Amino acid sequence: MENIELLKKLQGLQTIETASEALNLSRQATLNLLSRLKKEGYVTTTGGGTQKRLYKITVRKQRKRDPGMFDILNKYSPMKLNPWYDHQVHGIYTPEDVLIDAIKTKSFRAILASLRLFNHITDWKKLYSLAKQNDCWQEIGALYDLAKKNFKVKRMPKQYAPARFKGKKYILRKYENNDFKDIGEKWNVGIPFRKGDLIKVET
Amino acid sequence: MITHEDQMNLFRIISKSIKKDIECYAFGGTAMMFYGYKDETKDVDLLFNDEPSRKEFIEAIKQLGFNETSLLKIYIPEKLRDKNRPLMFKREDYRFDLFVKQIFKTKVSPRMKEDLFAIHEFKEKSTLKIGVFRKECIVQLKAITERQNDFDDILTILKKEQNFDWQYLIDETIWQHRHGDSWAILDMEKMIRQLKEYHFVEQKYLEQLYKAQKEK
Repeated sequence: MENIELLKKLQGLQTIETASEALNLSRQATLNLLSRLKKEGYVTTTGGGTQKRLYKITVRKQRKRDPGMFDILNKYSPMKLNPWYDHQVHGIYTPEDVLIDAIKTKSFRAILASLRLFNHITDWKKLYSLAKQNDCWQEIGALYDLAKKNFKVKRMPKQYAPARFKGKKYILRKYENNDFKDIGEKWNVGIPFRKGDLIKVET
Repeated sequence: MITHEDQMNLFRIISKSIKKDIECYAFGGTAMMFYGYKDETKDVDLLFNDEPSRKEFIEAIKQLGFNETSLLKIYIPEKLRDKNRPLMFKREDYRFDLFVKQIFKTKVSPRMKEDLFAIHEFKEKSTLKIGVFRKECIVQLKAITERQNDFDDILTILKKEQNFDWQYLIDETIWQHRHGDSWAILDMEKMIRQLKEYHFVEQKYLEQLYKAQKEK
C-alpha cells in the first residue's frame, strides 16, 4: 500500500490495537510500520509506561515547533484559545512580546487571555518601549489595571503611571462597555470587556 | 535542493544580517515545506510588500554569497517579459525567487493576506516575518508559475489534503480576473482540465470560471 493511502486510513489518534484493526495486521507488524512512519515524520507518540501509548498520525509531516503567541497565551491563561493560524517564533519570545502581539490581533479572546500575562512581566522597560513603538501604551495600561483589579499581577513601576492622553483609543474597533468605566477614563481607552468576561480567565 | 532544516537555518542566518524588520510571504515549495507536504524544494519563493524590504533582504543574502542569476530556462518566455517577474539569486544548490507586490500578473488579495496558514517570525535584532499562504493559494500560484514540477506539487497537495476548499480557489481566481489578471482564469482552467485526469474535480467549478470569463 502506498504511504499516502496508508496514512489516510490511519490519520488521527490511534492506539496499537485500533491501528492494527484498521490495517488488519498483526500487533508486531503494526508496531514495525508505525515505527517506520515515525522515523519519516508522520507519527508522534504520547504516553507509554503506565499510560496507554497514543499515536498521532497525519498525512502531512509533523514539523518540530517553536512556541508562538497562542502557545504562550494557552500556557498562562485558564481560558484556552484554538489558534486560527500557526504562529511560531524562532528566537527569544517573552511575555512582553506576546502581550503586544495579542493586542495587535484585535481579537476579543486573545486580548482577554493576555490579561493573565501581567503576572509574568519582568521587563517593564521593554514592554514600555515595545508599546510605544506599536502605539499601544494606553491599551497596555488599561489592561494592566483591569488585570490588577481581578488577579495577582507583577507591580508596574511608578514611572509608567498614566499621564494625560490626548486621543481616545479602543482595544477593539470602536467598541466599549461601561463595566470598567473608571479604568477606561484613567487611560482614555474604550474597554470592551464586561465583568462576566473576566470570570472566564479567573480560574 | 533545499531541505526544510536548510530553509529554517537559512532564514535564521538571514534574520541576523538584516538591519530592519522585514515582512514577506512564502508560497511554492517553501510554503509546502512549512506545511509538511514535502521535504525539499528547488527554490525559496518569497513575495515582499515593497521594494525597500526586498532590497534589504537582497543585501543580507548577498553578504552570504548569493549572486543574481538569469531567469532563462526557469520560466517560460512569456513570463520572462512580465514586468513583475522575480529577481533570482543563487549560491550552489540554494536559490531564491524574490517577487515584489505581485507574482507576475497575480496580486495578493486582502483575503490571501488575512487567511494565512502560518506566521513564522525569525527574531534577532530585527525580525524576519514570513507569512505562509494557505494551501488553496499555493495551488493557485502554482497554476500560474507553470514551472517544471509545479503540476506534480499541485497533485501532491490534493492527494494529501482531505479538506481542500475548491470554492475558495475559484473565488480567488475570479477575484484576480476582476482585478486585472487576464490570465488567471485561463491558467486555472488549463490546470483543472489537466488535473481531471488524476483527480476528481466537480464540473460546477469549471462552469463558474467560464461564467466569470464571459462577464468581461
